[in-house]
Amino acid sequence: MPAALGAVVLLLVVLGLVTFAVYVHRKLLGWMQGRHGPTHTGPYGLLQTIADTVKLLQKEDVIPAQVDRPLFRLAPIIAFAPSFVVLAVIPFAPGLTFADVGVGLLFYLAVASVTTLGVIAGGWAANNKWSLIGALRSAAQMVSYEVPLALSALAVVLMAGSLNLNAIVEAQARSVWFVIPQALGFVIFLIAALAELNRTPFDLTEAESELVAGYLTEYSGVRFAFFMLGEYVYLFAMGALIATLYFGGWLPPHPALAFVPGIVWFLIKALFFAVLPFWLQATFPRARVDQLMGLAWKGLIPLAMVNLVLTAALKTWL
Amino acid sequence: MATGLLKGLGVTFQEMFRPKVTTKYPDEPYVFPNRLRGIQKLYVEKCIVCHQCANICPTQCITIKEKPKTDPAQKKKELAVFDINFEICILCDLCTEVCPTEAIVMTSNVELAETSRADLHKDLPWLEANNTNVREVNKP
Amino acid sequence: MATLRTEELVLNVGPQHPSTHGVFRLIVTLDGETIVDARPVIGYLHRGTEKLAEDLTYTQIIPYTDRMDYLSAMIGNYALVHAVETLMGLEIPERAEYLRVIAMELNRIASHLVWFGTYLLDLGAITPFLYAFREREKILQLFAEISGARLTYSYMRIGGVKWDVPDEGWLGRVERFVDDFERALEEFHTLVTGNEIVQARLKGIGRIDRETAIAYGLTGVNLRSTGVAYDVRKAKPYSIYDRFEFEVPVRTEGDLWARYLLRLEEMEQSRRIVKQAVRQFPSGGEIMARMPKLIRPPAGEVYTSVESPRGELGVYIVSEGKPQPYRIHFRRPSFVNLQILPRLLIGENVANMIAILGSIDIVLGEVDA
Ligand code: SF4
Ligand code: SF4
Repeated sequence: MPAALGAVVLLLVVLGLVTFAVYVHRKLLGWMQGRHGPTHTGPYGLLQTIADTVKLLQKEDVIPAQVDRPLFRLAPIIAFAPSFVVLAVIPFAPGLTFADVGVGLLFYLAVASVTTLGVIAGGWAANNKWSLIGALRSAAQMVSYEVPLALSALAVVLMAGSLNLNAIVEAQARSVWFVIPQALGFVIFLIAALAELNRTPFDLTEAESELVAGYLTEYSGVRFAFFMLGEYVYLFAMGALIATLYFGGWLPPHPALAFVPGIVWFLIKALFFAVLPFWLQATFPRARVDQLMGLAWKGLIPLAMVNLVLTAALKTWL
Repeated sequence: MATGLLKGLGVTFQEMFRPKVTTKYPDEPYVFPNRLRGIQKLYVEKCIVCHQCANICPTQCITIKEKPKTDPAQKKKELAVFDINFEICILCDLCTEVCPTEAIVMTSNVELAETSRADLHKDLPWLEANNTNVREVNKP
Repeated sequence: MATLRTEELVLNVGPQHPSTHGVFRLIVTLDGETIVDARPVIGYLHRGTEKLAEDLTYTQIIPYTDRMDYLSAMIGNYALVHAVETLMGLEIPERAEYLRVIAMELNRIASHLVWFGTYLLDLGAITPFLYAFREREKILQLFAEISGARLTYSYMRIGGVKWDVPDEGWLGRVERFVDDFERALEEFHTLVTGNEIVQARLKGIGRIDRETAIAYGLTGVNLRSTGVAYDVRKAKPYSIYDRFEFEVPVRTEGDLWARYLLRLEEMEQSRRIVKQAVRQFPSGGEIMARMPKLIRPPAGEVYTSVESPRGELGVYIVSEGKPQPYRIHFRRPSFVNLQILPRLLIGENVANMIAILGSIDIVLGEVDA
């Protein structure tokens, strides 16, 4: 029973975070573009996201005539559910992990890739050429970038000697934060993570100017909201994973600062990496799809391999 | 190699601390320059019903009718109907430019949105009542 | 091994598509990722301007020229009045000419700013668009002050301009804008030109060579990017352009990158012209030549052209000595430049499609007229 309760609490916390993230997203973009961002709904526009959600939920549920109905209905759920599931293995603070799985990192990577299925299903079911192209692009992109993502994460596993995320954090408590020995791995991981999240400059799947809205073209109302929700939850989950793998999770930057609870440190780090993509989005254009693939296969994967070998060597001889 | 990318990030970061350029319209009214071509104001008593405005109008959106004279000795023509169809008026300023008596002048009011097309046909009383933000040069 | 049978995919781009810049439709046939056929469909914005103009007096046509290339209405206005003035052999007061040049060059900057912003939007960068519009807003404000409109200025009249400067400070504000604009251009270069992703997407794509460009009758930046230094302002000087020092930027690569850089450079040159014009601005004088009440050019025909932000904008008038033209034709650069699109697209990767379309810089109001 407490496990179920925990899950509900987690769900609510994450929903709150997402609401906040959308607001921060719009405010930051606004400020970087000489605008104010939302100001109208509630104080400082804080209720804007809630208003938007309510609007989305009220919308007529449109299912175009020619779609594959069961699949069309199922896709948003397939895409969204894993984003919550992965949060279960993230260690938020000492002893605060919803499911302390032994192979936590593996679990995260494996479950996260299920989302790709949801995206493909959605694009295919919509029976629209734009959706299809968007979905195929996204599948290709996600599959390609999972390789460097996993390879660079593997180097961290070598350093820590465990796949358990709690153990990885503890290993960093004993030595230094892994971003220092794993600087190269971190950069690769960050780039691959952006591509996994479909954020600028890798936001090809919904490249508005080219593909209308990619796999989302035919979605509206609640189903659209689910896809969006999934995306923002992933943003937070990925921020949390980066914080855990490379920035010591709940650890304070210096032992002298240990009086601040671990969860605060964790949230600061995770939110920083969750917000970073917004800044990139405000600055960069989109890469081209073939260049993107080139970068993954010819750039990141070899580099990640080298990184892995170097880490192994480091581990063996030092 | 990625210096261009980093410099770009710097530009957007700095922009966060610059003053914002957007205004709070419609909470605060946006003041247009005085010359702005908005909805016309009509001074009925000044109009000599010469039809020049209706003739110059490139979209033929002005309808003018003269009032039948009650007294045959009366010289001055009087307006019976003066309609502007704002569905097709392009606010080009030509009518106000040709009017010899400045009976029709521009204001800088631009808020014309209506919920029905019929509401866009503005008639004589409406145009006469529209007397805010009249161009300085045309003020009587 | 039997080869896998693949089918060609016909993709309908537009007329409602975020990056066709208006109502433009493109039917592309794809073989995998390669474009094997591209057919532009135009006419969604056709208003029959030329036919309508046959029933209108010359003054009445001016508002219609606003609505052809609505991003550079000042230059559209000028193209028409310049043709009529040439036909009538009018002498234009100096003050009016200066006002015209200032207006036209500011408008060229504004127009290129829209291009810059929307093109980067096509490439997926959202911020440059807002920076560009922030600068453009300042120009529109200046235009609203002098002409009373933000987009459809109808500012020129046959024989001069409609309004003099609105107040003493207007020229000062223009000068302040052009001075500040230098900083904005620098910012664009830091934010966008130096960006490696932009370079990777633009360099070497959408090549046009010199002969093809001339054969297709391209003008403007599309021609100058192939190494031909043809700018109507220099080739057949009109108005008072011979009094200003400016360069015609030319590049030889002929690709998207060249066109991108040229448009930014043209903004800089326009900035120089405006600055000189403000400095030389005559202190007094008329803004309208002496004109009869009804404009009746002599019978005859005339063709004049001006350099619009998109290329050579020509006006051909056949007059029978009546207040209305017998026939008027506009050589619309957007329309002519668009003709090369299928040739550029065929054989390209579909990922480049939007980038190539955007680089031609069309305005649908002008394509369809
Ligand atoms: S502004 Fe132009 S279109 Fe409107 S009524 Fe006057 S002349 Fe006609
Ligand atoms: S031009 Fe002026 S005076 Fe003549 S009809 Fe029109 S409004 Fe009346």
